Amino acid sequence: MSRPTAHASARWGVCVSAQFSWLVLIVLLSGCGGSGNRYLLVDNSLLASDYQQADAVIQKAEEEYGTKSRVLYWMDRGMTLQLAGEYQRSNEMLEQAEDEIDRLYTRHIRTESFAFMTNDNALPFEGDPYEQVMINVLKALNYASLNQWQDALVEARRIDHRLNVLTDRTKDKAAYRDDGFARYLSGILYESAGDVNNAFIAYRKAYETFEASRSWSRTAVPSQLRADLLRTADALHLSQEFREYQQLFPDTTWKTIEEHQHLAQVIVISYNGRAPRKEDLFIDLPISMDALQLVLINQGLSQATGQQHRAADSVLYGLNGRVVRVALPKLIPQKTQVPVDTVSLIPEQGAPVTIRTELVQDVTALADKALSERMVGIATKAVARAAFKYSAAEGATIGAQHAVGGDAGPWVGLAVGLLAKGFAVASEEADKRSWRTLPDEIHLARTWVSPGVYRLQKAPATGVATSSKTISVRAGESAVVIQRVIQ
Amino acid sequence: MKCGRHSSSVTLLILVLIGFSGCGAETKVTRVDEGVVTDLSGRWNDTDSRMVAESMVKEALEYPWLSNFSQSKHRQPVVIVGTVLNNSHEHINVGTFITDLERELTNSQKVTFVAGQGEREEVRTERKEQAMYAKEDTQKSPGKEIGADYMMKGTIATILDEADGTKAMFYQVDLQMVDMESNAKVWFGQKKIKKVIEKKRTVF
Repeated sequence: MSRPTAHASARWGVCVSAQFSWLVLIVLLSGCGGSGNRYLLVDNSLLASDYQQADAVIQKAEEEYGTKSRVLYWMDRGMTLQLAGEYQRSNEMLEQAEDEIDRLYTRHIRTESFAFMTNDNALPFEGDPYEQVMINVLKALNYASLNQWQDALVEARRIDHRLNVLTDRTKDKAAYRDDGFARYLSGILYESAGDVNNAFIAYRKAYETFEASRSWSRTAVPSQLRADLLRTADALHLSQEFREYQQLFPDTTWKTIEEHQHLAQVIVISYNGRAPRKEDLFIDLPISMDALQLVLINQGLSQATGQQHRAADSVLYGLNGRVVRVALPKLIPQKTQVPVDTVSLIPEQGAPVTIRTELVQDVTALADKALSERMVGIATKAVARAAFKYSAAEGATIGAQHAVGGDAGPWVGLAVGLLAKGFAVASEEADKRSWRTLPDEIHLARTWVSPGVYRLQKAPATGVATSSKTISVRAGESAVVIQRVIQ
Repeated sequence: MKCGRHSSSVTLLILVLIGFSGCGAETKVTRVDEGVVTDLSGRWNDTDSRMVAESMVKEALEYPWLSNFSQSKHRQPVVIVGTVLNNSHEHINVGTFITDLERELTNSQKVTFVAGQGEREEVRTERKEQAMYAKEDTQKSPGKEIGADYMMKGTIATILDEADGTKAMFYQVDLQMVDMESNAKVWFGQKKIKKVIEKKRTVF
């Protein structure tokens, strides 16, 4: 019995429209992981030292971040507000990020399932462990800048707790399981607040962590940390530890705590360069010889980039129907050109004090490590997702063919197959989200100066305009200076 | 028939996906009595502040230092609240806790409570302004402040342990009453609170 064409078309229309609705729905719900041009605008503002503008760019893009990237939005705003000198507001943002990360400990099966059907951008962003530690680092620096040292110490305790939990959870000793810089900063905060005992413990952990992670962190033990260890060990009369550190650092010069008592401390934190970004690394897996040829030809001939490329691939591979696409994140470093910063403290009277910062945190190395540690899991999930999408598309194609039947069946199957397999390719996208307002490297210097008022001047070698910032410090006080160098 | 079955499954899938997409919970506000315990996040909250202040002040006023002072001086001791240092893992609003302590001390009617360091400056400024602008017979003269006999000060510390989504937070509040003349500690009180905060790893 042949079916009336009009009837078949009508039913066919219902089926296709249902399929199409399904696809459209998934596309709509999958969320956009693209960060647009906002980071380019932020970088331009940072280059011009216009930190309010950088923050305004992030604030304006709040909708773009979407509900799944709220943590990232708060992280970015926390950083730009800190650079803008709005430490209290920066802390409010970072506090929200921290609270949300805490809530995200509980996974939602429906969200995970949905991400499995689309891509990892459908998952809420919670940041890598090093990014979570950096939240507390930034908050601690904000409180120290506000001269709220007791609150800064709360952050030091949180850093300690976060890292202890991370160490307990991470069995692999070669993995990121502690943070030398975060420990070191904690020590500086404790010492600045007069808690020499906790400062020594933090310095010692920092030293051990710098040593243990040297192979991948690309960060040597800061020379200042050696002096800090000797000074605090001496102050606490820890004679055995003091002798050990003396043997380890025979060339380190240091002053006793008593010698620092009538001086003021200046801590310089320099954020240099830009954190790495992530790109999609598409791997097209052909499952037939003609598909292999198509993939090779497409990769050889394609001149298009970005969205154009992806659209063309979706159509081509959708038509062929025998190509499975897997998207993995690839790290693109954006290395700083500033190996060392020189900052001069110019007093109202007397000779200027020049201090040189040294590397304490290579954020790119941390991002690289974090991604490599997660890559096996990401790749496994991506392959499983691709297989699921391919199977679902095959099922939809066959289902549509059978549903329509007759002469129109193959054509309907072809159309549905094109849509479903095209969507499977188009929807594949790696999770490229990361805290991109972080720097490439963090440098630190600390020095003790006579109490007084100082004008800060960055060295011309950095190519940065002379700063007009002044600081006023009294004996026994500490001042934190945060600067951003975007080269 | 086949199309119908297929359409149904697709429709079901759409409905499931819509269900998955999540619906934002509407904001709901309920007024509750101030005494109701509201442990939401497990952090230090108003209940902790109030309960610790109440019990510790009550305990402090039961100890013999109070009666010893009253008998020897024939008046109530004058108490001031000093610094309560936050040595915890949280940004505790110590000011609220100090206010709770001050309220409990004042309402006890067993001690005379005087304004602390922060408030004194405001009062002194007002007195100076009175000397310039207020009628002479209403002006309050300087040098008549009551000096405190004792200072109540202390710390809030925490010990935090965590594994597999379960946190054990141990708060220890130490308060001491220090004789302003001799630096002798006439009372030492301690209050401990332990909270276990459990989080599920997976929910639907």
